[in-house]
Amino acid sequence: MKRHSIIASAVELGFLSIAGVAFSHGSGDDQSKIDLVVNTPTEAVSREEGLSAWDRIYAVASHPRCSNCHVDESNIPMWSGPSYGKTRPHGMNINAGISRIGIESIPCSTCHMQSTVPNDIAHGAPHTGHAWMLAPVEFAWFGKSSAEICEQMSDPARNGGRDGDGLVQHIIHDAEIEAFIVWGFNPGGGREAAPGSMQEHLDDMVLWTAAGMPCPAE
Amino acid sequence: MASIGKIARRTFLVGSVAIAGGVAFGYYAVKKPHKNPLLDDLANGEAAFNPWVKISSEGVTLITPHTDLGQGAYSMQAALIAEELDIEFGQFDVDPGPPAAAYYNTAIGPEIAPFRSTDESFQANAAREFFGAVGKLTGIQGTGGSSSVPDSFEKLRLAGAVARETLKKAAAEQTGVAIEDLKTANGAVILPDGSELKYTELAATAAEIKPVQNVTLRDPSQWRLVGKPMQRMDIVPKSTGTLTFGIDLEFENMHHATVKVNPRRGPMLSYDASAAEAMRGVKRVLPVTNGVAVIADNTWRAFKAAEAITCDWGPAPYPAEQEDHWNAVANSFTAEHLDNEWRHDGDADAALEAADSVVEAEYRAPYVAHQPLEPIGAVIMVTDARVDIWVGNQFPRFAQQQIADVTGHDVDDIHIYGQYVGGSFGHRLEFENVTLAAEIGNQMRGEIIKLTFSREEDFAQDFPRQITMSRGKGVVGNGKVDTFDLSIASVSASESQFGRIGLSSPGPDGQIAAGAWNMPYAIPNYRMTAYKTHELAPTSSWRSVGASTAGFFADSFLDELIHAAGADPVEERLRLMDHDVSRKVLEAAAEMSNWGSPLGPNRGRGVAFVESFGVPVAEVIEVTMTDAGIKIDKVFIAADVGKIVDPVNFDNQVKGGVVWGLGHAMNCEITYSDGMAQQSNYHAHEGMRLHQCPEIIVRGLENAEKIRGVGEPPVPPAAPALANAIFAATGKRIREMPFNKHIQFV
Amino acid sequence: MRLTVNRATYEVDVEDDMPLLWALRDELKIKGPKYGCGIAQCGACTVHLDGIAVRACSITTKQAEGREITTIEGLGTPDALHAVQEAWVEHQVVQCGYCQPGQIMSAASFLSMHPEPTDEQIDQAMSANLCRCGTYPRIREAVKAAAAKLQGA
Repeated sequence: MKRHSIIASAVELGFLSIAGVAFSHGSGDDQSKIDLVVNTPTEAVSREEGLSAWDRIYAVASHPRCSNCHVDESNIPMWSGPSYGKTRPHGMNINAGISRIGIESIPCSTCHMQSTVPNDIAHGAPHTGHAWMLAPVEFAWFGKSSAEICEQMSDPARNGGRDGDGLVQHIIHDAEIEAFIVWGFNPGGGREAAPGSMQEHLDDMVLWTAAGMPCPAE
Repeated sequence: MASIGKIARRTFLVGSVAIAGGVAFGYYAVKKPHKNPLLDDLANGEAAFNPWVKISSEGVTLITPHTDLGQGAYSMQAALIAEELDIEFGQFDVDPGPPAAAYYNTAIGPEIAPFRSTDESFQANAAREFFGAVGKLTGIQGTGGSSSVPDSFEKLRLAGAVARETLKKAAAEQTGVAIEDLKTANGAVILPDGSELKYTELAATAAEIKPVQNVTLRDPSQWRLVGKPMQRMDIVPKSTGTLTFGIDLEFENMHHATVKVNPRRGPMLSYDASAAEAMRGVKRVLPVTNGVAVIADNTWRAFKAAEAITCDWGPAPYPAEQEDHWNAVANSFTAEHLDNEWRHDGDADAALEAADSVVEAEYRAPYVAHQPLEPIGAVIMVTDARVDIWVGNQFPRFAQQQIADVTGHDVDDIHIYGQYVGGSFGHRLEFENVTLAAEIGNQMRGEIIKLTFSREEDFAQDFPRQITMSRGKGVVGNGKVDTFDLSIASVSASESQFGRIGLSSPGPDGQIAAGAWNMPYAIPNYRMTAYKTHELAPTSSWRSVGASTAGFFADSFLDELIHAAGADPVEERLRLMDHDVSRKVLEAAAEMSNWGSPLGPNRGRGVAFVESFGVPVAEVIEVTMTDAGIKIDKVFIAADVGKIVDPVNFDNQVKGGVVWGLGHAMNCEITYSDGMAQQSNYHAHEGMRLHQCPEIIVRGLENAEKIRGVGEPPVPPAAPALANAIFAATGKRIREMPFNKHIQFV
Repeated sequence: MRLTVNRATYEVDVEDDMPLLWALRDELKIKGPKYGCGIAQCGACTVHLDGIAVRACSITTKQAEGREITTIEGLGTPDALHAVQEAWVEHQVVQCGYCQPGQIMSAASFLSMHPEPTDEQIDQAMSANLCRCGTYPRIREAVKAAAAKLQGA
């Protein structure tokens, strides 16, 4: 198996930086390449533009591909969205525990491998380049409103200690290792993808943070 | 043999029409014993006293023709022979033997007779004898209908006794000691001086003498094995990964095959396999009925290649959308669909007419899949001379005929080697894996091929349980149930199942009403009417068959009436009961559960009683309504099978039946969209998982006169007992399976 | 690729993405791990990778390369049963038995991590292995018995 290679380069021309990330998927020669470009705005971003970007971020964050694993201290991942029928806790009585990786009873890794090969098996246990896990409990946003999630994401105490640039870098880092956000936009296995693309999500995050992370009213 | 296969086709008629004109000829033919199939290929010095015991100088083989689907049939059959043969586990091998008329099932036939199992009238018993005779006449070798124990119980002990007495006779000839002075134990004849002659040492002599036929069975007080806890012979191999299932078979130069068949069960119009043919390890892509087969050097490569084939599928020969299936059933409660009025005590019409108020309810039970964990498949080799196939099937002689129809061989030349099966629940009553394997083998004569269905293909091609609805009308008064008028409309799983192999089933389908018409209750006005919906999606027998749905309808509706009457669910059932064995079963379950004792808040207790396959079963279920949903705490179950052969396996089978009944009632259905089953794997149809499994407390009773099997009877009362318990805990009456459409479970 | 299964080394020539299950079953003829669903729903294919349970249907052969693979055949044998297998035999857990290699491998891995499991942990750890016959009451008993045996050992 080929390892995925990361080609990172910086390009200027009005942009702050560009991280180009090339992926090689497992076997064969079919290489899909995602170039992520940080489109830093040259002018100030209005609150309206920021809120509009947030709406799109929320559409991603609240999408089942993301929110199913951003759950509360019950530590129970969810199965929801069109791929699953009605919303229910993850089957098989799964509880990821305080560890959020299941070591208290059954590790997530029993079924969810850490791998960058495509998720092409229908209804199979998905995998990414990051070990499978629940998001930290302070990032819990399953079932929460746009305003609530927005407050959380802009609060360093509840977003992993990140400022605006940190949130942008988080997306870039995710792309580099083909982790959960990349997977959310290309989940395979018959699952519905999060709306938009990785680039659009990055663009929105850049806009929203540049606008000062405005949040909608309740 | 070829002719017997054909006779079987003509004369195996399920239902009452077959009676007319058949008795005289049937009786004559029944008198003639079938030939012993083991005599065909005995080696020199090998003896086969009857179709169940084979002894050579190398060892003792007990023939256990009932298919082992996980229910422990091989061990049970071996124990019955060993009981009289005086041989211990570990001293013999078992072999399912060749498919043969001699292994006809004596117990399935009598169950077809349209009499309540509690009916011991001359007429009822005469009908049972007749249908039993039809079984013998036609040589139907079958495993199903919880019939393995009743079929085997006397027959196999007799077989063991005949073998034992014949071995003693051989020992007498060999030693000159009088037979009366010989004893048997531990697989040997014991001489008066205490020395032993092993059965294997007597094989050559025994082979030369005529088997002793005049034997008497031992008194139950002398039984060493029957009724005592045993350890099934497959326990250790199955706990160490050393037992070979059909899917595990390995032969030199074996190919690995899979199939891709129209998921709408219509024709295949065209296909393009060019991409698949270029894939690594793919050897052939062959057309088969309504689909294609891929032959490769590895099962996974065959699966991947099958995925890569594009097929143009014809439409489904049934409604494409689920809603239309329901509509068809709902529209069947009409005179033209009347299948049979199975029972009418009193005058239901008059009672309903006269009543101030009528309790009415409607129930539904969906299609449900079998999906045992071992996917279906078979290993086959077809040559010009013969067919060899390694597969576990519950009707091996029908399987022979199915293969013969594909390959053109005489059924005599079709050799089936029965295999341990990783679960069936009715799936292995069907022949798709057998006929598709035959089609593949026939196109690759001289090659040995293992066919394995992918789980998705298995789901798509499974024949689910019948879809059915019920409407009840009832009257209560003075704290009592007065009128119980239940109608059931259903597709006929039996008709669908047997129709696929060209067998007609004239007369009404008793399974539509099973568990509903035969309740041992003396309700003043009791009517049970069955309506038959024309075939929709093809269906089949599913563990406990008709009673799995009709039992749910009938007991649920009775429970509703009892609650409407303000009576106690156990007390009122007991008051109505007119069958002593059944009453003791219900009393046992009530006593075990401490029925009537207070439960905490948000808790409830439900009872159900259903008799199926001649076995009365009562279940009491306790549930708690938690914040996360209903939790099933405990199940108390009592069943009367007349005689328990192995208490350990009995306990395991009963618990398994409860889990099966509950899991599917709670969680499972098969629905159709665009003509295809929408559930493709266990994520969408899992039955029950461990965390939902309650504590199950089992009691076996032995008051019934006839011995019965217990594989299926624990299933039907599980669903109504749970629904009744949920009602007790929450006030919510669930009338449709799966229950999780209406209430959340923990 | 070189695979180490039950302490023996094998060479297999398979695609990188062939699930380990099929390399074991069809190439190495190691039949203890069973095919049930192919999507990590049933657990019948469970093996240990460096001592930890994984679903062999959902891990590629390449990922298992260079690691210690243990199947039910390597856990214990009829003559030398592992404590979990002993408990399975004593409690006569099996019915059809097809899921049981996976159940046993899951239980063995779980007990190696949690020698004194609570009932809740058992219910969490063992609910990802599907048994269609309904042997769950006996599985619970056997897991507890096995834990006691391993503690005593």
